[in-house]
Parts: sequence; C-alpha cells; structure tokens
Amino acid sequence: MPDWKKIVSKHLGLKHIHEEAVCELAAHLEESYENHRSRGLTEANALAETLQELENCDVLAKAIRRRNSEEGLMNYRTRWLWLPGMIMMLLASLSLMVFVVTGFRETLIWRAGPIVLWFYGPWLASLMIVGAAGGFLSKRERASIRTRLAVVAPPALLIAICMCIFSDLSALISHLNMILNRFWWFYLTIAVANWLVVPGSALLLGAAPFLWAPQRQA
Amino acid sequence: MTKRIRSKIARGSGELAILSLLAERPLYGFEIAKQIGERTGGALKFTLASLYPLLYDMEKRGWLEAQWQANDAGRDRRYYRLTSAGRRQLAPLREEWRSFFHALDALAGVSHA
Repeated sequence: MPDWKKIVSKHLGLKHIHEEAVCELAAHLEESYENHRSRGLTEANALAETLQELENCDVLAKAIRRRNSEEGLMNYRTRWLWLPGMIMMLLASLSLMVFVVTGFRETLIWRAGPIVLWFYGPWLASLMIVGAAGGFLSKRERASIRTRLAVVAPPALLIAICMCIFSDLSALISHLNMILNRFWWFYLTIAVANWLVVPGSALLLGAAPFLWAPQRQA
Repeated sequence: MTKRIRSKIARGSGELAILSLLAERPLYGFEIAKQIGERTGGALKFTLASLYPLLYDMEKRGWLEAQWQANDAGRDRRYYRLTSAGRRQLAPLREEWRSFFHALDALAGVSHA
C-alpha cells in the first residue's frame, strides 16, 4: 500500500503544520485506491487513477495554506497541547488545595532536619485522574504521542517549581547553611522525588491508557 | 461561456450538492464525492482537488463544521456536518438554482433537450 501521507505532502508541498489536512486527504486517496482495486483494477492502474485526483491541486494547496495561516500555529498548538496542559495544571493544583483545606494530611515517610520525604496518597490518586483527563483531551484531538507526553509534563514541572519555592522555601532558608554546605545534593534529590518524580509518575500512570491509543491516521 | 462563468456555476452547484447531502447526515470527503457521483449518474464529479477547497471554504464561512471520528471500518475520518447557518443557506440556494433553470428553460428549452 502506498504511503498516502507522503504522496499528499509531496504533491501539495505541505509541511508538519498541515498535518490535519494531510491526514484527511491521505484518507481520501486511500479509499479511492481501494475503491478502484475493488472494481478489479490492477495495483498500477488503481494507483494511476487515484493519483489523477491530485491533478490541478494548486487551488487546494493554496486553500490549505491559507486555512492554516488563518487558524494560526498557536491555535493548532492550543488545541493539541496548551489547553489540555493548562487544564491539567489547574486540576492538579485545585485538587491539592482541596485536600489541604479539607484536612487530609500527608504521610511522613522519613525526616532528617529540613529534609522530608512524604507521601500524599489521596492527592497522588487524584493526580492519576487528572493525568487521565489530560491524556483523554489530547487523545481526542488525535495528537502525536510526543505531544501527549508534553501535555502530561507541564503540571508535574509546575507543581515541582511551585512546591519547591513555596513549601520548602522556609525550610531551605532556615537551614540554608547546612543545606548549602553539606546536604544540598541530598535535599535536591528528595525535593525532586517529592515534587516531580512521584506526582509526575502518578500523572503519567493516569495518562498511560491514552498515550498509546492510535494517532490520527489514514 | 467563459471559463470564469463555468467555474462559478460549477462552484455554485457544488455548494448546493454538498449542502443537500449533508442535510441528510454527516459525511466525510470521500463519501461526499462518491455520493454526488452516484446520485447524479456521474454528471457531477468531484476529485480531491476540486472537492476540498470547496469544503474548506464552506467550513470557513460557518456553513459546515468538521470533526474527526471513526467510520464503520474503524478508520478516522473527518466528518462534515451542516451548521444552522449552513441549513439556512439551503433553501435560498435551491430557490436560486430553480430560478436559474426556469430562466434557462424559457430561453433555450433545456428541460426538454
């Protein structure tokens, strides 16, 4: 079976940002080819007939470029990346706030002075739901797997940055000398585990079923 | 008849054909082209290069909206459906074409040709 996406991209001179149109047109050609084959045409004849559909496609190529430039790259990225990412960040922050306000406390796993390793079960469980929501939103737009991963990453990174700044800042300041002189690397490792690796893993776990779901294809 | 006028007629008839089909149910590009070909006995024929500029333009004007969903074979297809604005276009377009054919019939007797 010919690579219809490649054929469309080449004939119409389209690039990555025109992916939606390329997928749509490739699907059209694929079905046209199968239709010719089902009517008994040989592979070569069916291919030739199908490729005739691409003759005089200058107007089509212009229409696609104009459509994309009007929609704008930002809009394209907004639907696929920023919107799901922002929703996830908001939900992750809100859920943490709700658990803190309603009195759910973290479970202390280990402490050594300012260095604390804890486990926040209910919040981590909620993060899996948040991850699933982000994965679903991204999957609904048939984003690439790379984009879906990028959707999951921002909440984990933002949470890590916020928590490192706001929550651990006081401990950091009060024990600055000790941390800077002796345990800075250990402190950093624990902070990364607390605020990046564990929440990030929970988000990824929730998003996992949607990460490997099929991308848009012909 | 100049090429420009022919192109406008083709475009207008294409718009009416697409709106009429989509008024029945949402369809994707290949189905639209196939059904137009079949239901007009091949008199109206759309290729990929002629169909999609029209669809994209009608979508831009808000007459159609498109959404990816799986077809019966489980393949992702971009289904077009009529918007309320598109539905409102249908009656005046039909009337316009009816008047056009009446005028042409009165002039050249095309309906009895």
